[in-house]
Amino acid sequence: MENKTKKSFGQIVSNFSMPILLLLLMLVFSILSDRFFTPLNLTNILVQNVHIAICATGVFMIMVSGGCDLSIGYQMSVAAVLVAKLLSNGTVSVPVAILMGIAICVALGCFNGVMSIALNSQPMIVTLGTMAIFQGISYLISGSKTYHNLPRSFMYLGQGKLFGKIPLNAVIALVLIVIVGIILNRTHIGRKVYAVGDNPEAAKLAGLNVPKIKILVFTCAGILVGISAILLAARSGSADSSTGTGIEFTGIIACVLSGVALKGGEGTLWKAIVAVFVLGVLSNGMQLINLGTYPQYIAKGIIMLVSLYLSNKTAKKA
Amino acid sequence: MELLELHNITKKYPGVIALNDVSISFREGEVHALVGENGAGKSTFIKTISGAVQPNEGKIVFDGVTYDHLTPQKSLELGISVVYQEMIQFEAMSVADNLFMSNGSDAGFFVNDAERNKKTAELLEKFQCHVSPKTWVRELSMANRQIVEICKAILRKARVLILDEPTASITVEEQRRLFDVIRELKKQGVTIIYISHRLDELFEICDRVSILRDGRYIDTLDISDTDKQGLIKLMVGRELSENYPVKDNPPEKEVVLKVDNLSGNGVRNISFELHKGEILGFAGLVGAGRTELMHLLYGAAGIEAGTVTMNGKTLSIRTPSDAMKAGIGLIPEDRKWQGCFLEKPIYWNISIANIKSLCNGPFISSSKEAALADHYGQRMRIKAPDYRVNAGTLSGGNQQKVVIAKSLASLPEILIFDEPTRGIDIGARYEIYQLMIDLTKEGKSILMVSSDMEELLGMSERIVVLHEGEQTGTIERPEFSQERVLALASGL
Repeated sequence: MENKTKKSFGQIVSNFSMPILLLLLMLVFSILSDRFFTPLNLTNILVQNVHIAICATGVFMIMVSGGCDLSIGYQMSVAAVLVAKLLSNGTVSVPVAILMGIAICVALGCFNGVMSIALNSQPMIVTLGTMAIFQGISYLISGSKTYHNLPRSFMYLGQGKLFGKIPLNAVIALVLIVIVGIILNRTHIGRKVYAVGDNPEAAKLAGLNVPKIKILVFTCAGILVGISAILLAARSGSADSSTGTGIEFTGIIACVLSGVALKGGEGTLWKAIVAVFVLGVLSNGMQLINLGTYPQYIAKGIIMLVSLYLSNKTAKKA
Repeated sequence: MELLELHNITKKYPGVIALNDVSISFREGEVHALVGENGAGKSTFIKTISGAVQPNEGKIVFDGVTYDHLTPQKSLELGISVVYQEMIQFEAMSVADNLFMSNGSDAGFFVNDAERNKKTAELLEKFQCHVSPKTWVRELSMANRQIVEICKAILRKARVLILDEPTASITVEEQRRLFDVIRELKKQGVTIIYISHRLDELFEICDRVSILRDGRYIDTLDISDTDKQGLIKLMVGRELSENYPVKDNPPEKEVVLKVDNLSGNGVRNISFELHKGEILGFAGLVGAGRTELMHLLYGAAGIEAGTVTMNGKTLSIRTPSDAMKAGIGLIPEDRKWQGCFLEKPIYWNISIANIKSLCNGPFISSSKEAALADHYGQRMRIKAPDYRVNAGTLSGGNQQKVVIAKSLASLPEILIFDEPTRGIDIGARYEIYQLMIDLTKEGKSILMVSSDMEELLGMSERIVVLHEGEQTGTIERPEFSQERVLALASGL
């Protein structure tokens, strides 16, 4: 019998592999560039990755429930252009626009959930289809226009600082992540989400309403995606139909890197969030040492493949 | 003549000695059974022969040649084939393609389908397996899939064929056919190593039997020199007085569950009554609709017609959750896929169905959860170092206890046991039987589906027999006999 209460050194290292990796990367970039470890740059990394962290939280929930969502980027795009259009028309107030932005993502997330249940098909493929639909919706709303001149009160959400120091968007993200973390780990709803991902058949026979839970997860992820879109648009001060696109991949890579099981049922939220910043530091650091966007893509891809290799290796050991 | 000899095989894993100085030899053309409780080392022993495991010590002699160890390739070259319980096949390919995937006999670059199909048909015919060579493997029954695996071994000119629990999921009729196949192979001089938990069948088909216990070799006997009790004694190292504990509490008059003309999910017009404290058995061949019927009662499938009345009240069950609320619990047939969350801790498994009741507000109370797990864990005598270990690390018997604990935690009045002891070793079986009886003493009533004839006859107080979705009879205890059950199950 193995004794799980005593943890070996190796287990501790593997448990903290994300923070260790993050510190290592920071150390390497501090040595390679004297512009890396400065308050300004570190704050930049933080505020630039906040919306990704919120999205990754949504991706995390979906993956733990055994799903996958490729349409998140275009959900963000729809929300961003909708909010920006409403605000630049000046027809509605800022709070109403924000609520509508979140509401549209809730609707789209719910649509994803309902579709993947109704079609009884792999969510990855279902959301590949809905992604195309959302892309179309986004361009219909924006007409390929870029919206500038968003109200200052709106932009405060993405650029404001509490007490002149703490970025407001980071605080919002932290609050959201903590709430989701508590729901997933401490409540019966969270427990059911893990159960559905781990073994849907056993979950059904244990009396859980599997379709309802799956749809709920997609819908709640929509809330996070909507907020993420708003923070992104508010920070950049503009929005168009490419806002947020591609973010689902960063989210999925971060989750997989942090050890979220592809089949669902397993994963630790804080590790996924740290993994977002691992990827964020990597992009930022590579930029600083003059490796542009394209080498960054390659680095991200390699990290994804290496993490798949490592997760397979640990899965076999267990 | 000895064809395959294993001498002083020892295999150590960190913290466990799986095989400890085991020596067994197999003669050419014999059917040699290998028995032992779960964890006795049977799987490791087989893997040593198939080359999947390399022993730390010992040697293997095949046809006069000595090897330190075998590799999977070497083992295949020597003509050793294993038919595993969980067969790995190309599901979406034809039987013929499966057979010839690694036995390609095609001339040139192109697949000669006509030739393949013809050869496959001949082989299948020889084993009374009447399926078309073009059928996709995933459309075959378990028994026919087994035949396909055996055919594969024959094409490889196997000299040693290892059958791992071949009768675990096939019907009595199919078992008979399998035994014919085994006898035919034996005639051709193939050595068969036969592993099974069902001791009775060993006496029908085997020549000799070797017993393993706790990784050690105990003995090899001619099957004619022993009997079931003797084997059990050697396997468990102690004498089990009886196979089935005595149920001395007759069922009460009170009817707890009344099913009238229930149809749906492939079964039609099923009617029966379950009395308080009764164990009601359900017999039938694979595909007779027993599990399907249980899923109807449990709300896991839709009822099309008929009524279910519990304690005089008509139930409307649409989901498992409805059934649980009404007081019906299910211990599903497939522990690994339907019962257990293997990668989750024991306490987690026990609490999941009732997690809401263990909460303060929306938050799970760890202390309530631990108390529930402790209560049912101890009651079921789950053997684990800690209830925080994952269910997947437990033995089959202990996993089943976890599943039962999960069900009991929602305080059911009626429990459905679907194949309660499949793949579970003898010691744990007895415990589960005893527990079922204890439950009836507490006033709970049990519906038990089983493919194990002895278990049905030994544990049930009445048996409902199904045949192709229809009820062909109900047998009272005094009329119990294997022949009677089989006749009804075959629709005679």
